Amino acid sequence: MTQLILRDLVKRYGETEVLHAINLDVAEGEFVVLVGPSGCGKSTTLRMIAGLEEVTEGEIEIGGRVVNNLEPKERNIAMVFQNYAIYPHMSVRRNIGFGLKTAKLSKADKNARIDEVAATLGMTELLERKPSQLSGGQRQRVAIGRAMVRDPAVFLFDEPLSNLDAQLRTQMRLEIKKLHTRVGKMMIFVTHDQVEAMTLADRIVIMKDGHIQQIGTPAEVYHAPANTFVAQFIGAPAMNLMSATGTSSGVRLWNGAKVSMPDLSIAEGREVTFGLRPEDLKTNEGDVLAGTVTVAEPLGSETLVYVDVDGSEIIATAPGRTPPKAGDKITLGLSGTDAHLFDTDSGVSLRAG
Amino acid sequence: MASISSPDTARQNTARRGLYARLSIGQKRTLWAWTFLAVPILFYVVIRFYPTGNAMVLSLQEWNLLGDRSWVGLENYRTLFSDPVFWQVFRNTFVYLLLGTPISLVISFIIAYHLDKVRFMHGTIRALYFVPFMTSAVAMAWVWRWFYQDVPIGLFNNWLATFGISQIDFLDSTTNALPSILAPAIWAGLGFQIIIFMAGLRAIPRTFYEAAEIDGVSTWTVLWEITLPLLRPTIVFIVVLSSIGFLRIFDHVFNMTTANPGGPLNSTKPLVLMIYQTAFSSFDMGYAAAQTVVLFTILLIVSLIQLRLLRDR
Repeated sequence: MTQLILRDLVKRYGETEVLHAINLDVAEGEFVVLVGPSGCGKSTTLRMIAGLEEVTEGEIEIGGRVVNNLEPKERNIAMVFQNYAIYPHMSVRRNIGFGLKTAKLSKADKNARIDEVAATLGMTELLERKPSQLSGGQRQRVAIGRAMVRDPAVFLFDEPLSNLDAQLRTQMRLEIKKLHTRVGKMMIFVTHDQVEAMTLADRIVIMKDGHIQQIGTPAEVYHAPANTFVAQFIGAPAMNLMSATGTSSGVRLWNGAKVSMPDLSIAEGREVTFGLRPEDLKTNEGDVLAGTVTVAEPLGSETLVYVDVDGSEIIATAPGRTPPKAGDKITLGLSGTDAHLFDTDSGVSLRAG
Repeated sequence: MASISSPDTARQNTARRGLYARLSIGQKRTLWAWTFLAVPILFYVVIRFYPTGNAMVLSLQEWNLLGDRSWVGLENYRTLFSDPVFWQVFRNTFVYLLLGTPISLVISFIIAYHLDKVRFMHGTIRALYFVPFMTSAVAMAWVWRWFYQDVPIGLFNNWLATFGISQIDFLDSTTNALPSILAPAIWAGLGFQIIIFMAGLRAIPRTFYEAAEIDGVSTWTVLWEITLPLLRPTIVFIVVLSSIGFLRIFDHVFNMTTANPGGPLNSTKPLVLMIYQTAFSSFDMGYAAAQTVVLFTILLIVSLIQLRLLRDR
């Protein structure tokens, strides 16, 4: 039973603390994505798990064993790097086999193992090629193959899709997800792309400035963001945030519009932040807010409309077939049950759970 | 006010600017490229290619620098190949090459490999290794000459004497003189090679090493299977450059054996020194030119062989 536990993990470079006592439990076979803006400590965390960075304080436990002072090779992990780290002067076979160098297997066994991995990744006929003869996606597959060949307990991915173009990224994303289903091993995946995080993860860990903001399934972090950072980071386009004040029956928005909140009670006069996802704002259905369209971005299935409401920009979605145009005056309807409320000072969600 | 020129005016403009305006963008670029290339091409033709060609012609003539040139055919070459001094010099030149290049390559790589990992005073240490490269070869040769003197003057022999070891004839022995001259020559070139090696080492992505660390291979395997193969272009560059350098060695030899250039008994004389003496002591320009052509051929062959051997397959 392989389990990964991070206990009060701290990383300091000299005086600068970049990771502030983070805690995380990952179960066997789980796919966990660490996501956050650059500099949030997600890559550092991954590199500490890999053993490429030393642990300043706290503990890393893999499969019931504290690995703080173990060399990377003793941790039973494999890692896929952003730039693939495949060696240009070696054939695909030698690249994949490089991870088996220290394995106590006969040459025939090693070759059989390489063939098996290559077959799994559908690149048997590429084995004798040099990396320069491969496309970006194929190189990425070689990197994954090199990780797989050692049959590690934990796979670590450090932004492996960032160097690929948009279409290939979507395709490789799917392949990684399929691979996870097939091998069933624990995978820790670092990315700055929230779409990758949402699509791949069993659980998402959202990080910012060396702190974990929220841990949850994609649905949890989307529908019940723990704070304004998560609310804005997850979901594209980002959630609309507006200032509001508590009233007897709900909230009064910054422009005076009243919204009733049947499932939440807020102290009268309390300053809060009112959040609403663009898809929860219905154009021309109801008239809680009214404004002028400044920009319309057609996406085909729907159109994003940027509406100037009393000096604030609000993003809403409109149907794809009959979208409003820039300059149109429209009304926006909304329901208090869809809304998220956050404490204005701390940004923490006022909806429990 | 925006004005749009009528088709008539446009045609007039074209006519006025003449031929150049009618060229396509590609032709214009080519024209400019050749305009700029003209200066270096002229330089190379006048300063490099013409004298080279002239030397080849001269190698078939006899000339004492003042009188007329007279044709002698292949006589100069015949003399050269039957001259025992030439073969001694030929041998010396290759000893400089075959000792100098590998030794300097290995030493500079070892220093660069370790210096790359040193953070403490990195810049200062690197500068210290580079200083000999910037120092004048003449000054350096004379300092080393002093190092090699007998007791009680020479530094090395004084050390040996302190430990009770009998002194060594560095520059006056036919066996020791060549290595003694080669040592400062290697030392002088190290700084440059170290800088090039370090640039090569820096160009290897760090993740290559991290991936190897996760795979758990030994430092030795990393060196042989990752670092050295990826340094191949750097190694080719240094080998070719330093080979050419050692085949053309002159100033160190000349300055460390001034009393008897190339001595003792021609045991340190390289080809370039022989050419110099033939040309400017014996004033036998045609014979010197023939020697130059031979040196040129050797340089060409050695460089081509190295490029072929070390080229990326």
